[in-house]
Amino acid sequence: MAVKRQKAITWALGLAASVAILLWKPTVLIYGLQTAGLYAAIAIPMGLVLGIVHIVNLAHGEFMMLASYATYFACKALGMDPLFAIIPTALVTAAFGWIIFQITIRRALKAPELNQLILTFGLAIAFTQVINLMFTSQTYKMPLDYVSASMDIGDLTFGTWSFVFIAMAMLFSFGLQFFLTKTTTGKAALAVGQNPRGAAIVGIDVYKIYGLVFALALALVGAMGALFLTKSAIFPQVGSPFTMKSFCLVAMAGVGNIPGILSASILLGVAENFLRAFRGTRGWADIVFFVLIIVVIMSRSLKGRKS
Amino acid sequence: MKKTSMVLAALLLLVGGVFAQGTIKIGGIWMLADITGNQGSKAAQLAVEEINAAGGVLGKKLELVVADDEGKADKAAAQVEKLATVDKVEVFLGGMASGAELGKIPAFKKYNRVVMSTGAAGSATVEKALGPSPESDFYFHLHPWDYNQGASYAEGWDAIQKQYPNIQIKKIFLAYEEGAFGKSSWDATKILFGSQSRYTVDGAPFKSAAFGGGDYTAVLEAAKDFKPDLFLWAGYDADALPLLEQSKAMKFSPGIYLGAPPGWPIGFGSSKLSKNVMLYGMWSTALNDTNAQSKKFYNAYVKKFREEPATYFALLAYDAVYILADGIKRAGTTETAALVKALEQTKYASALGETITFKPSNIIKHQGITRQKILQWQDGFQEIIWPFEAATADPVYPFPLWK
Amino acid sequence: MNRSTSRIITMAAIAIMMVLPAFAGDYPLQVARNVMMYMALAITWDMLLRSGQISFGLAGLVGLGSYATILAVVRGGMPDWLSILFAGLFSGLVAFGIGFFILRLRHTYFSIVTLALGEIFRIIIHNLHDFTGGPEGIVIQQGVMFGGKSGPLYWLTLAGLGVALAASYWFEKSKFHFALTAIRNNEVSAKTSGVNIFRWLLATFVITSAIQGMIGGIFVQSYGFASPDSVFSADFTLLPMAMALLGGIHSTVGPILGGILLGLVSEWLKLQIPYGHLVVYGLMIIVVILFMPSGLLGIARKAGSRKSTDENQRRAV
Repeated sequence: MAVKRQKAITWALGLAASVAILLWKPTVLIYGLQTAGLYAAIAIPMGLVLGIVHIVNLAHGEFMMLASYATYFACKALGMDPLFAIIPTALVTAAFGWIIFQITIRRALKAPELNQLILTFGLAIAFTQVINLMFTSQTYKMPLDYVSASMDIGDLTFGTWSFVFIAMAMLFSFGLQFFLTKTTTGKAALAVGQNPRGAAIVGIDVYKIYGLVFALALALVGAMGALFLTKSAIFPQVGSPFTMKSFCLVAMAGVGNIPGILSASILLGVAENFLRAFRGTRGWADIVFFVLIIVVIMSRSLKGRKS
Repeated sequence: MKKTSMVLAALLLLVGGVFAQGTIKIGGIWMLADITGNQGSKAAQLAVEEINAAGGVLGKKLELVVADDEGKADKAAAQVEKLATVDKVEVFLGGMASGAELGKIPAFKKYNRVVMSTGAAGSATVEKALGPSPESDFYFHLHPWDYNQGASYAEGWDAIQKQYPNIQIKKIFLAYEEGAFGKSSWDATKILFGSQSRYTVDGAPFKSAAFGGGDYTAVLEAAKDFKPDLFLWAGYDADALPLLEQSKAMKFSPGIYLGAPPGWPIGFGSSKLSKNVMLYGMWSTALNDTNAQSKKFYNAYVKKFREEPATYFALLAYDAVYILADGIKRAGTTETAALVKALEQTKYASALGETITFKPSNIIKHQGITRQKILQWQDGFQEIIWPFEAATADPVYPFPLWK
Repeated sequence: MNRSTSRIITMAAIAIMMVLPAFAGDYPLQVARNVMMYMALAITWDMLLRSGQISFGLAGLVGLGSYATILAVVRGGMPDWLSILFAGLFSGLVAFGIGFFILRLRHTYFSIVTLALGEIFRIIIHNLHDFTGGPEGIVIQQGVMFGGKSGPLYWLTLAGLGVALAASYWFEKSKFHFALTAIRNNEVSAKTSGVNIFRWLLATFVITSAIQGMIGGIFVQSYGFASPDSVFSADFTLLPMAMALLGGIHSTVGPILGGILLGLVSEWLKLQIPYGHLVVYGLMIIVVILFMPSGLLGIARKAGSRKSTDENQRRAV
């Protein structure tokens, strides 16, 4: 009962805070949500891998970078819009991810988690440097008209395209929730994530599930890579910062809590944009990300201790 | 263990080195994984080949030894040591990132050989670490310092407003990336444009897409509130188009929209949004029409490497080799004191469209270029607006209002 | 590999490092300085790892120490030598303060929080322009220590590594070894057998952080500057981890071997393939992890055990 009441209070406070912000500085909420969508859509696949395969994939952002490059050159060659490339890129990236999983990560799954960490770090270096060698460090950007779509409400004018990231993040979040709870493979994956030994005993092919989940996560990364290309310029290091950001978000939500990633992203996105909106606090917007992560993790660990 | 001891042995063998006769060795250090360093090293190689084909220097051939500093201080220091003691180069060349340059400076000072530096604009760190004359006399800094650039922009805008009375600037807003590059641009802009209160200057930082940022909404909100006549952003090529797209989405269209990245993204000119965007830079292909040296370089470079020179850093490296060769010719030696004296007399008509001489800057004695140029994207090409003696087009003003 | 072999290797490595300045030129000495700096970080990181805690905070502590040193020198006029020790003391104190909170965390959560703290240090230094020099960094006006002479700077770095090695050996020999291994293997049984987990963890965290901060101080005194990008570089976190792992974790000799391997190979590759050496470097890390999952040490151990079983079989025959 007490927990329920606490939860209700938290929700009410959050709602009140967002209404207050919306009235006072509406752009904070608008841009905060757009930022959150981008963060969440990139972080959710990492959360899936961390929750079920139990590896921290330090090449996460680099996989997205590869997907973006592939999309760029495919679209350039075929004169196609990157939006039409979302599904093909997802499929190609999934296949690529599955192969990389089979020839590298799978072999390191029995080793301590550190091995997987450094292995994926090696993958990250190799991916970035191969792209750098092939396409130099120069940036590529698709000029697209629709990314400048805008909306006027009163004297407020803001860009609307980035809302697409929220849609993507919600699609990922609810889609995965459905997959993990309603489909047989998904249920098996969830079982493997919670207890790999137990799952093996009841006859689930754990390694097959790992490969599938990794490929599924990479499909999402690939879809995101194509969508990312609409908004952002690409260059070899473009994915790297998102690896750390995603890792932080996943930890903040709690490993295995995929819907939590979306709420964590919203909290961070809005908080960041709030600090950015004022002259005195502009430079400190980055710090809020890390402070909030520490606060959430510490308070959860304290709560865990009490109960 | 066996492998490592073999590598160790190989390294130790290298220390002995071989002293090649009949060549003058130049050590070039760049960050090779970056486009500026990659092309800078190639352009320098091109200059070396041209000079050798024309008979070399003092009857000897030039030889360029390229090293990669990876943009890191400790790696950079190791490469200076290698070039100095293993390859036994007689002069140094190159440089881009201030962080790597700072790692090189202690070793440069130790060897006291002439350095022709093509990058590192951070005066607050690099120039300070070099220190005053005479201990830093070996260091010839070709690229302008941040304050040189700021001063030249102030000069340029004054001149443009005088020449084109329809262009009037009162309020300037600078959106600067929060790293070293943007921050030093901001400091220089604030001081140079803000002085004598001729201009009202404001600015705000943003996180460049080059470092995981790419959200320009907050900085553009601030700029929009300020209503500047001149909106200027100091960031990287990754920021160029997304910033414009976001500006358009927010219907922010100042009279002058100006970018100052070290390079522009591939195909920027083909974007509709690039129309009439202004920029700071040192070189563009437009210069090929008015400057023979530039044309010679451009044609030779494209022919040899089958790619366009993407930034002016390629030309700086190319010029640096010619300036060094010229100085060595006049000095008759690569010995530091004599070569420094000869280089002080440099009057080199560069491919960048100006005559390079070395004059004292705030701290060091040998500063080369002090001016940047003001350019404008017109019909997909960068046209030079100022300085007027190198101009290839008149400015188009104002920047088109977003539809 | 048994204890005495690893001790022989360590001794040999130290001996080589001691005599290196006598016959090596300035270039190998500079490379060795770079390698030793990372090696010291790898060893201290491994010391905490022996308790099972994976820290991602190396870069944060190196950066903290770097700025402690340079600000003490530039703003406080502290003598060079003292400033390096001050970096150690300062980082140790900070670690003591935060250790109370964060050492209660385990696994991924501990890693993330150490990473976040490092970022917080960086952002604070980035933002305090007037005091720290901000994003552009700050330089020591009078230049680097010893006028930039390779010999003394080499000894300075070796001294830093020496402290790390001594601490690591002390850990292996003393009660620390038992306590940390017990915590790593089973925290609950460690608790019941009377190990005060928290005290041992805190002591380890403070000691390793102090050494890491000191290494930052040595970096600053070797190059005469600090900037957020240089001293908080992610390289300081990831490369020592890779070195420890490639050499073999939970030991002193492992990080030494890994440091030599990665440090020298990266420099050697660069001489061979100036435009693309980093690709090979990344591939090498992948291949080594896949085929030598327990590092060089693991291979040596396997060879050692095979030999002893061979001997046993022979004896049986």
